[in-house]
Amino acid sequence: MRTRHSFSIPLLLLLSVAGVGCRDGAIAAGATAVEAQQPAAEAQVALPNKDGSFKFAVLGDFGTGDRTQYELAEQMAKFRQRFKYEIVVLVGDNLYGSERPQDFQNKFEIPYKPLIDAGVKFYASLGNHDAREQRYYKLFNMDGKLYYTFSPKSDIRFFVLESTYPVPEQIEWVEKELKASGSNWKIVYFHHPLYSSGERHGSDLRLREVLEPLFLKYNVSVVLTGHDHFYERLKPQKEITHFVVGSGGQLRKGNIDRGTGLTARGFDTDLVFMAAEITGDEMYFNAISRTGQTVDSGVLTRRKAAP
Amino acid sequence: MSATRGGLVSLAAATLVAVGACGRESVPPPPPATSASPATAPPTERVVGPLSPEDARALATMNDRLKQYVDLHVKLEQSLPKLPKDATPQQIDKNQRTLERLVREARATAKPGDIFTPEAQPVIKRLLAAVFGGPDGKQLKSSIMDENTVDPATIKLTVNARYPDVVPLTSVPPQVLQTLPKLTEDLEYRFVGDWLILLDTHAHVVADYIDDALPK
Repeated sequence: MRTRHSFSIPLLLLLSVAGVGCRDGAIAAGATAVEAQQPAAEAQVALPNKDGSFKFAVLGDFGTGDRTQYELAEQMAKFRQRFKYEIVVLVGDNLYGSERPQDFQNKFEIPYKPLIDAGVKFYASLGNHDAREQRYYKLFNMDGKLYYTFSPKSDIRFFVLESTYPVPEQIEWVEKELKASGSNWKIVYFHHPLYSSGERHGSDLRLREVLEPLFLKYNVSVVLTGHDHFYERLKPQKEITHFVVGSGGQLRKGNIDRGTGLTARGFDTDLVFMAAEITGDEMYFNAISRTGQTVDSGVLTRRKAAP
Repeated sequence: MSATRGGLVSLAAATLVAVGACGRESVPPPPPATSASPATAPPTERVVGPLSPEDARALATMNDRLKQYVDLHVKLEQSLPKLPKDATPQQIDKNQRTLERLVREARATAKPGDIFTPEAQPVIKRLLAAVFGGPDGKQLKSSIMDENTVDPATIKLTVNARYPDVVPLTSVPPQVLQTLPKLTEDLEYRFVGDWLILLDTHAHVVADYIDDALPK
């Protein structure tokens, strides 16, 4: 799988230089945030915003109830006025601290009310700070399950795992589901990253040992995670693109270890969510900060089964 | 999950045999098969080596108590209406508090050490010391202390009482989970300060704890 993020000739028509905007229908990019190992003047890849494409957002480590969580939530609602994503996938740590009814309100229902009211569906995975009872919460759409799969659109399937207690039954389940799926796009998400440059947590090597061979074998194209409180797009690992989007409410400033060599793009100075669009064999993505800046963008191509 | 519950508990003691041992001079024998992991799963690196027979026996006392607790929990939970898959926060809270009340009533005389037995406690502390004394120990402890800002001495942490709402649920690294006796889905290990908590996740009740479990 290839990942493009700047100056690819076939993409030139889609590119929008920072602050300039983009082609008709596409989402205009804001100012470029300069972080990690990217050159400052890199062009941004706009989301095509095509009719009929599948659009979604990614959010993780968010449920603090703090002002900054609310501000990022406002940014998500604002962004959706221009880019009608249908679902938000939650990569865990959905509620920090207590989980009383008022906490579900203050840490989830109120900040994301504009999205909930607009019919956007949230599909949760559980993080290490989440109580397992969240699986029954209607607005998390987990259907009472700790791990599950859903297909929001023909040819696209998400596999949602519980990575705090990855019991053997779950590993067997995900292998069976991945094997049985004929979807071209297989996207897996869960809380603990297989690859991360986080100084606090970093890559979960034990989870990687177990899951990565399955992801490779069954053509997973994208892995979405959180846990480390920043945004990071990893360099493709064995053809799979991994994202850490653990910056929906919590932030650990300066926590990306620049020395890992894993980072394609990192941002650890403000909260971020990710917006993505799948059209055909390509997935476009933008990472949007609390202040509305596009801090990363690009397009990747799905993995294909060997003929 | 219920189908696996008994199996998991009964497998716990056997699993432990493959887990432990710290600093013994003789080369330990290879551990026996531990669980029904998928044949395709790659081997994982053990943080601490096999347990001595004495330590395995000590932890077996805890596994017996765990089984008793889980049996009780299952029985009480089955007496309640099943939570719908599209529950409101109020329904979740009500269900949790009802189960909490039933568990507390059924274990009215519970006290520290009922599950973390006096025999098991020193073994658990030694296992944790081995994990945190390893090369990743400092980072593991950092990850546990993330969101773990509460001094257990300042809160009322009681066996068979509700886990305090103000205390965040902490991270428990996989190395620790791999080292401690395996639990069913009804129970979790958590740290509050340096206390190791056995948390009934459905009832949100502190089933037992060990104080001063996390090495300084």
